[in-house]
Amino acid sequence: MPILQVENVSKQFGSFEALRDISLTVEKGEAVAIIGSSGSGKSTLLRCVCNLEKVSAGQILIDGEALVSTQSGVVRYPKEKEIRRICMKTAMVFQQFNLFPHLTCLENVTITPIKILKQNKAEALANAKRLLQLVGLEDKADSYPAMLSGGQQQRVAIARALAINPDIMLFDEPTSALDPELTAEVTAVIAKLAAQDITMLIVTHEMEFARSVADRILFFEDGQIIGQGSSADFFDNQQNERIKRFLSGFQK
Amino acid sequence: MNLSYIATLMPALMQGLAQTLKLFALTLIFSLPLGLVFTLGSISRVPPLRWVSRIYIWIFRGTPLMLQLFFIYYGLPFMGLTFDRFPAAVLTFVLNYAAYFAEIYRAGIQSIDRGQHEAAKTLGFTPWQTMRYIIIPQTVSRVIPPVCNETITLVKDTALVTAIGVGELLKAAQGAVNRDVNITAYAVAALIYLAITFVMTMAYERLERYFSRHQKKEG
Ligand SMILES: Nc1ncnc2c1ncn2[C@@H]1O[C@H](COP(=O)(O)OP(=O)(O)OP(=O)(O)O)[C@@H](O)[C@H]1O
Ligand SMILES: [Mg+2]
Repeated sequence: MPILQVENVSKQFGSFEALRDISLTVEKGEAVAIIGSSGSGKSTLLRCVCNLEKVSAGQILIDGEALVSTQSGVVRYPKEKEIRRICMKTAMVFQQFNLFPHLTCLENVTITPIKILKQNKAEALANAKRLLQLVGLEDKADSYPAMLSGGQQQRVAIARALAINPDIMLFDEPTSALDPELTAEVTAVIAKLAAQDITMLIVTHEMEFARSVADRILFFEDGQIIGQGSSADFFDNQQNERIKRFLSGFQK
Repeated sequence: MNLSYIATLMPALMQGLAQTLKLFALTLIFSLPLGLVFTLGSISRVPPLRWVSRIYIWIFRGTPLMLQLFFIYYGLPFMGLTFDRFPAAVLTFVLNYAAYFAEIYRAGIQSIDRGQHEAAKTLGFTPWQTMRYIIIPQTVSRVIPPVCNETITLVKDTALVTAIGVGELLKAAQGAVNRDVNITAYAVAALIYLAITFVMTMAYERLERYFSRHQKKEG
């Protein structure tokens, strides 16, 4: 069973259609990258998957459980508590990191397991330290986010997201707010996760990163997926003229 | 002006000061938390709670404190609710200041970046857990400066209760001035108010520094 199934999802903002009848699946262990021009609905899709936006139509299944379903035109979400439980199988990494500035890096990672998931403190702490080590920041455990570089903050945000032990990680342009030299340290961490077969859906404008990390690429345009393929196929054998033009815009 | 005359004023002024400080302290003890209740009410997703809180804040911020004082002390007895002077003063001040603090807190809470709410939500926090663990702790450092300002205003506002005959510092000074036909007592009272607000200002600067420690690089 796929970890994520998005079926015929549409999203309207007023009269504007940000997503038009989108369908996609992400299998366990897969890394899928979404690319496409600005305003094409990439963020909106991720935000619908983690319930930061409500869909206007369609169905989203996470690990086989319906976050939302639509029957004969009626959109149905379960109760808040149920939504939270289902959405905790996803974890989001934001473009702007959104770390909690009043907490140390370690506390940013432990707060959810301890306060929300009511995990054993000692275990949560040990796990958080392991995660900070995974992202290469064990020595910053007691620093506050404001003392870190953007790249370091984003790596803490990744550790924080991993701490809820999600089935799928969602990344919304994780490196767009970073200077080029800081981008590499974040993409390296994400590549490491991909190598560990952590399931990921990544929105990015970094073509090299998408090519190297993703198994599959989806191309968004005007709220639709107009092209997709395995990473190698997509970049090296692209037939679609529109996508070719988009990609050539990124060649250095 | 001579020192021995001032010395004779001091017992009465000190008694007045004790009342002033008591009113000040009681007002803060009750209005600081009560303000938070109205803040949470005013941003609640439950419409009746929201409206009651907002109307409350609107009324208490939109009318003069003195009028509220008169209403509670002279007006409520007509509705069968009678308070002594001092409790009436405390009640009025608590209700009034709670409305001001509620607005300060609300502005503080709403100044927190939306990304904080979103991050917490995607981590599975309920709205209440987000408030408690993420938003309110960050709001504290932001509301400290305006809350401190408000408490300095409060020191001076306590003098208003002279109007319903509470024997606080100004009332004590006024008594001495009328009795002795000598304005020295006013000057001494002014110095006492200044001393209080000066000490508070110093204390608040330290408090602000303490609470803004995470904002600085290499704090
Ligand atoms: N809350 C909102 N209200 C109204 N319109 C919105 C809202 N959020 C997004 N949109 C619109 O929906 C469209 C898709 O937005 P989205 O953020 O998903 O694009 P994107 O593909 O992530 O773009 P970018 O690469 O710039 O991040 C845009 O035209 C945007 O203006
Ligand atoms: Mg976006």
